[in-house]
Amino acid sequence: MTVTEPLTVRPPQYVGARVLRVEDNKYLMGRGRYLDDLALPGMLQAAFVRSPHAHARIASIDISAAKALKGVVEVLTGAELAKMGTPLVADLQREEVLPVGKELLATDKVRHVGEAVAIVIAESRYLAEDGAQLVSVEYEPLPALVDPEQALSHGAVLLHDDVPGNNVAHIEFDSGGVEEAFAKADRVFTKRFHAGRQHAAPLETRGVMADYNPGTGHLTIWSSTQLPHFLRTLIAPHLQMSERHLTVIAPDVGGGFGLKCHVFVEEAIIPLVAKRLRRPVKWVEDRVENLAASGHAKEIVMDIDIAVTNDGRFLAFRGRYIGDCGAYSGYPWTALIDPLAAANLLPSLYDVREMSFQVDAVLTNKCQTTAYRGPGMAPGHLARETLIDDIAHELGMDPVELRIKNCIGPEPYVTVNNMRFDGGSYVESIRKAQELVDYDRFREAQAAARAEGRYLGIGFSPFVEAGTWGSEGAKALGFPAEFYDTASVTVEPDGTVTVTTGTFNHGQGHHTSLAQLAADRLGVRIENVRVVDGDTSKAVWGAGTYASRSAVVAGGSILYAATEVRNKLLALAGSLLEASPDDIELYDGQASIKGVPEKSLPIAQLAGVGYFGGALRPEGQEPTLSATRYYDPPQTYSNGVVVAIVEVDAETGRVDLQRVVAVEDCGTMLNPLIVEGQVHGAVAQGIGAALYESLEYDESGQLLSGTLMDFLYPSSTEVPTIEVSHIVTPSPVTEGGMKGMAEGGTIAAPAAVINAIADALTPFGAVIRHAPVRPADVLALIEAGRA
Amino acid sequence: MKPASFKYACPTSVQEAVGLLQHFGDDAKVLAGGQSLVPMMNGRLAQPDVLIDINQIAELRVLEVNGGLRIGAGVRQRTALESPDVQRVVPVIAEALRHVGHVGIRARGTVGGSIAHADPAAELPTIMLALDATMTVTGAGGQRTVPAEEFFRGVFTTAVEYDELLTGVHVAVPGPASRSAFVEVSRRRGDFALVGAAVSLELIDGAARRVRIALSGVADRPVLAHRAQEFLEGRDPHDPVVREEAGRLAAADLDPASDIHAPGSYRKKVSAVLVKRALSNAVNGE
Repeated sequence: MTVTEPLTVRPPQYVGARVLRVEDNKYLMGRGRYLDDLALPGMLQAAFVRSPHAHARIASIDISAAKALKGVVEVLTGAELAKMGTPLVADLQREEVLPVGKELLATDKVRHVGEAVAIVIAESRYLAEDGAQLVSVEYEPLPALVDPEQALSHGAVLLHDDVPGNNVAHIEFDSGGVEEAFAKADRVFTKRFHAGRQHAAPLETRGVMADYNPGTGHLTIWSSTQLPHFLRTLIAPHLQMSERHLTVIAPDVGGGFGLKCHVFVEEAIIPLVAKRLRRPVKWVEDRVENLAASGHAKEIVMDIDIAVTNDGRFLAFRGRYIGDCGAYSGYPWTALIDPLAAANLLPSLYDVREMSFQVDAVLTNKCQTTAYRGPGMAPGHLARETLIDDIAHELGMDPVELRIKNCIGPEPYVTVNNMRFDGGSYVESIRKAQELVDYDRFREAQAAARAEGRYLGIGFSPFVEAGTWGSEGAKALGFPAEFYDTASVTVEPDGTVTVTTGTFNHGQGHHTSLAQLAADRLGVRIENVRVVDGDTSKAVWGAGTYASRSAVVAGGSILYAATEVRNKLLALAGSLLEASPDDIELYDGQASIKGVPEKSLPIAQLAGVGYFGGALRPEGQEPTLSATRYYDPPQTYSNGVVVAIVEVDAETGRVDLQRVVAVEDCGTMLNPLIVEGQVHGAVAQGIGAALYESLEYDESGQLLSGTLMDFLYPSSTEVPTIEVSHIVTPSPVTEGGMKGMAEGGTIAAPAAVINAIADALTPFGAVIRHAPVRPADVLALIEAGRA
Repeated sequence: MKPASFKYACPTSVQEAVGLLQHFGDDAKVLAGGQSLVPMMNGRLAQPDVLIDINQIAELRVLEVNGGLRIGAGVRQRTALESPDVQRVVPVIAEALRHVGHVGIRARGTVGGSIAHADPAAELPTIMLALDATMTVTGAGGQRTVPAEEFFRGVFTTAVEYDELLTGVHVAVPGPASRSAFVEVSRRRGDFALVGAAVSLELIDGAARRVRIALSGVADRPVLAHRAQEFLEGRDPHDPVVREEAGRLAAADLDPASDIHAPGSYRKKVSAVLVKRALSNAVNGE
């Protein structure tokens, strides 16, 4: 990949500046339109009948009472839906992986609490729920599997007849000399870590609306999704429709965090029903459905071994990852989204030349698992980084110095499993964080507090974040397929600019940050740039927004397309100003001859000539000013550190999170305000992983945390001020120098908080082996240490 | 998450409300702030035929100091929390109210609603038990009063009969020797308590008298720690050893249930800690 030289002589007008978000007025004025705000004349509403059992055969379904209810228009079961559309089958292009199908509605058996068995369509959601209550389903309960190791064991009941051993995939990696390295190591440290079952819990739940026009044969789907184009491509075959007759629109979306970068059965069912009934149909997921039946995340049982010399040099890593993946393989990323990503990022920023891992993606009678900010990377990081703190304590070394001793250098680096890091401030960011928290002084304060019977602790969690998700990045993390994005850039006849992209802004500030890039490359003012996305009939194709990819992939494709249009503008300006295009500068809406500012023309005037100038255009230049380009970036890896400081109440186990410091290096920053917002949100969700979030099932597979009274996530009262600091190490391999970012805080903060708790509890020899850490767990660690 | 259909009544007097309750009996539910009832209805865990909305009954919104603090059942939690009368006369009620949910919840939720709902982990029942409050219950035959100790009968169960309405709560004005405190541990700010402890006592010549210690989250209702109360009677709560022993005795007979947020054993241990701390706050915060 070659990198084009910066084209502007002056420093960029917008990239790197704290430009206020242009999209926010709409939200602040209450003029956003989310899926639930949409309504069409004659629209019907849907509710699902969902299983109360974790695992059961469906003996019979009686829909007669529901159908007879006034206001109910239709009731459909799985058998009927099976005639209308086809199951979603998640598969990866890897020989180890078994395809797993999910029927649109369950027909023969249900595999988790909350799985849908029938849909009721009525004149209102109230009536639809009344109807759902009247659907009578006879179940024959089967044994439920809630422990993935039990599900893997010989003789366990099978969730899917075509998935032997309940294992979607067993994947191994071995660099070759791992066992030898462990044999010759002075010390071997081992830890089992069980990461909690989390959930993205977006403020807006999922939702789908569909409208079919029998006159045109065209079907429009509105979905609260992160990937409108990809959704259209993936869902069309299941609807037995061609893409030309499908429009997918993502309205304003109130958070996705990875949950909505999937395709769900509801996104097939609602369009199929709308088509059948010839009336618009809407379904808005409620919170109970969202918690029980959308997507869970990140529960992995991990065994990590590290071979170490007496002076603290890491010789080899070994990992076993057993994903508790739930009843289905999430579509399209599969059940491997957590355990395989965890395994492949095992080396992180450590210079380890021997590594092996084993991954199992195990089906259990729980809700399927799907991507959630820092998929796999976050739990994997917790296991490794808490073990590294344990090792430091065992070896009598400072945990920060132990990490730095094993850290890679700042230059690009190829990991033992062939991830191509594009260089970063791996050590520098740790040192900077140490300075920011005044590490030495903290250690003094900690000692003084301990003498008073108070327990302060500090946890360091340096990270490398696999973002961007181009083809190479996806493959490096274990998901071989083609991922890129496209953008169109058009200078309109009046000189304003329209950018369309296949990525989709759902809170990330793309309408600002991507406009900054286009404005700089074209030399126009940002207020004259509009970014269009979220509608397959208005924007060019793309794979969507997830995996911290948009700044890099959308940014790169916009830069490519804008450069083409820029070259046309330069040619026009050169012709009109009677200068070489090479001598023209485009800046702040003006084209001028470099060094001769009085020789200038407004870009708006160039645009007019570009469209209507006839012979004024340089010979051979076609009219209009538009270009569409694609970009498939190489791998990028942002890096940074999260540091947490806690005080633990040794009598109640309460953890007071007093301070969080984050250092972020994502290469070229388009907009530091937006980067900081991403760090804040990511760290907050990481705090949730450390202290609060856990979807709990009992032994029979009943979901015990089925409401937000029991599934706890941090709110503003649980998140302290997050102090963010930046280092900028531009990527040498991407267009523009950007690296994907937004997940580092979620990856790193859990280990920062848990290491801080363990550090506070050093007098009790506490070793933490699971997340989240509740007050009761803290008290148990203290009591075990006192015993 | 939409409720099943129901009839709706909106009486403007207690008399009218009681008449409706008598008429509809068990088929009716009283709607106050709706912070517990409405989610239960939306989840269809509660499907009352009739909803009797008491929000338009002005006489339930009285908050006055007149031979004691009287809080009408319809007074919003936020109103009570911010009331100068409450803060001056029985500030520990405000202390407890700060732990009730968040601003939005307190702005709708009522004092009477929380007491009548009788969640065993809720703050208001616990503080009312510690303060030896008296509940006023109105039925067709007129008013009756029920002491807090007899009011709470179990999980979501009180002495209020199906045709009666909780109309107010009365707390005696504490004397100058009174000391009190409320503390709790919850997973997050505003969650129901894992354990809560409320203490009220009089300090006479350095000795504790008329001690009441109420605990939340440890049984099917808020409970008094009788052995700890008796132990403290006449002893000096400034003495950490005395407080420690009181905490131990308060927890000794408890057998709290476990849930996903904490095992019962945790709640038992932390009960002792919170009683100790509440006593300390009560007598050292003076």
